[in-house]
Amino acid sequence: MRDLFQYVPGNSLIHRLNPVTKIFLTVVICVAAFITDRIPYLLFLLCVDLGIGFAAGVPRKALGILKGLLRIAVFLFVLQALVVRRGTPVFWIFTDTGLVTASKVVLRLIVVCMPLAMVLAVTRISDLANALVQVLHLPYKYAFTLTTAIRFIPQFLEEMGGIMEAQTARGVEFDTKNAFRKLGLMLPLCAPLLISSVRRSEATAVAAEVRGFRLRTRASGYKQYPFAPADLAVLLFSVLLIAGAVLI
Amino acid sequence: MIELKNASFSYGAGSTVRDLSFTIDAGEFVAILGANGAGKTTTVKLIDGLLKPTSGSVLINGKDTAVTRVSERARQVGFLFQNPDQQICRNTVREEIAFGLTAVRGDLGEDGIRARTDEMLREFGFTGEEEPFSLSRGQRQLVALASVLAVQPEVIILDEPTTGLDYLECAHIMDMISRMNREQQMTVIMVCHDMEVVLDYARRALIISGGQLIADGPVEQVFRDEALLARSSILPPQIIGLSLRLGAGFEQVTTAEEAAEAVLRLRTGKEAAE
Repeated sequence: MRDLFQYVPGNSLIHRLNPVTKIFLTVVICVAAFITDRIPYLLFLLCVDLGIGFAAGVPRKALGILKGLLRIAVFLFVLQALVVRRGTPVFWIFTDTGLVTASKVVLRLIVVCMPLAMVLAVTRISDLANALVQVLHLPYKYAFTLTTAIRFIPQFLEEMGGIMEAQTARGVEFDTKNAFRKLGLMLPLCAPLLISSVRRSEATAVAAEVRGFRLRTRASGYKQYPFAPADLAVLLFSVLLIAGAVLI
Repeated sequence: MIELKNASFSYGAGSTVRDLSFTIDAGEFVAILGANGAGKTTTVKLIDGLLKPTSGSVLINGKDTAVTRVSERARQVGFLFQNPDQQICRNTVREEIAFGLTAVRGDLGEDGIRARTDEMLREFGFTGEEEPFSLSRGQRQLVALASVLAVQPEVIILDEPTTGLDYLECAHIMDMISRMNREQQMTVIMVCHDMEVVLDYARRALIISGGQLIADGPVEQVFRDEALLARSSILPPQIIGLSLRLGAGFEQVTTAEEAAEAVLRLRTGKEAAE
C-alpha cells in the first residue's frame, strides 16, 4: 500500500507519453466507464487498464492495485447486492438485478481507480505538475497543491504505521478480530496524525516560500512537454473508447 | 532477562539483522550502537516484540515474544520512540499518562490508575491539564516518557531518546532514567548516536554493523577499540579520543575530572623530578 502511489522508473512508450496525454487517457477511461451500461465493455476497459500496466512494464504494480481494489470490491459487491431488492431471487436474498447492478458498480470502481493509480506509477510527480502548468495553463499553486497532496499519501501511511506501532508498544491490541473495536482503537490516532500533517504542511509551505514559490510562473520551468505521434495515437484511441462506450 | 537466540529479521529482500545472539540481565544499562541502517532499531523492535523474528527467537523472562500477548508484553517492556508525536494521542497530559495504564494495568482499578497518574504528574512536574501538542519538543518527550514509566515496566527501550533535545532537556530525561535503573533495577536498552550520553550513562555497549553483532562489552572498553569504532562508523567521545591520543598515564580517563587529575598528577610528578 505504501508504494502504491510511487513512481516506477522506466523508458516504456507509456512512460514517454506526454503527462497531459496520460491524464487525458485516464479521464477518458473514467468517462467511458460511466457512459457504458454493459458488463462486457466494462471488462474490456479493465483489460485496457491491465494492458497499460503491462505495456508500461509495471505488471506487478498493476496487479497489486487490482488486488487492493478487489478487497474493497468484495465488500461493495455484497452491500450493493443486498440493497437492491428488485428482480428475481436467485440465491438466498440475492436477486438477479441486484447481482448485475453490484457487478457493474464493482467493475466501474476498479476500472476508474486503476488508471488513476497507474498514471502516478508511470509519471514523475514533478513532470505531472509542470505539464499541467505548461500545457493546460493551470496556475502553479494549484498544480503544486495537487502534486504535494499525492506526494504526502505514502508519507502519511508511513506515519500512521509508526503511530500504530507506538500504540501497540503501549499495549493497544490492534490485532483484534472485532472490526468495530479496531475502529474504536484507531479513532484516537487521528489526533497525532492530524497534528503531524499540519506540522508537515506548514514546514513544506515555509520551505516553498523561502525558495520563491510566489515568483514561479508558467515560464519558470525549463523542461518542455511537446506532443509526439504516440500522443496523437493515444488521443485517437481515447476517442474510440468513448465511441465504443456510447455505441456498444 | 532478555535472550536473543540466533534472531534474524528481514523486511523484504535480504536480511536486515542476522543471527543475533546475546543476553541482557535485569538491571543492566545497555547501549546499542552502529551506523544508520545497521539494524539497531530493528533489534530493539525485535526485543519489544513489535517485530517477530523470521528465524531464531527472542525470550523475555523465558517467554517467547512471538506468543506473548501485546498487553502482557507492554506491561513488561516500555518503548520510548524517537518521535514523541507518534506516541501522544490524548488531549491532556493526565489523559495521556492514564492511557497506557488503562490499556495494561487494569489490575490497578480506577482509583489505582488515578493515584499512579498523580504520582507521575508530580514526579515529572506537570499539572495534568497541559495540552501535550502545545508543549515544547523536550516537554513532549517527557510526557511520552512519563506515560511509558507509569506502567512500571521491567525493561525500557529508548530509541534515540535525546534527538532534538537541548542539553538540559537531555540531562533531565537521562538522569531520570538512570535513577530508575539504579533504584528500581529497571533494565535500560538505549539506541543512541550521542556517544557522550552513552559514555555518561550506559555500562555495556553492543555494536551492530550490517545487521550483525560485532562487539559486546563494557562501554569504556568498546570506546577504546579504535579499529572497531572505525569499522562501525562511530567516533569515540571526545574525552576518550583525547585519552587515546595522550597515551600512557591517561588509559583510565573517561571524564573531564579524571583527565584533570591525570594532568595534575603528571605536572606534580614532573615538578618533583625537577
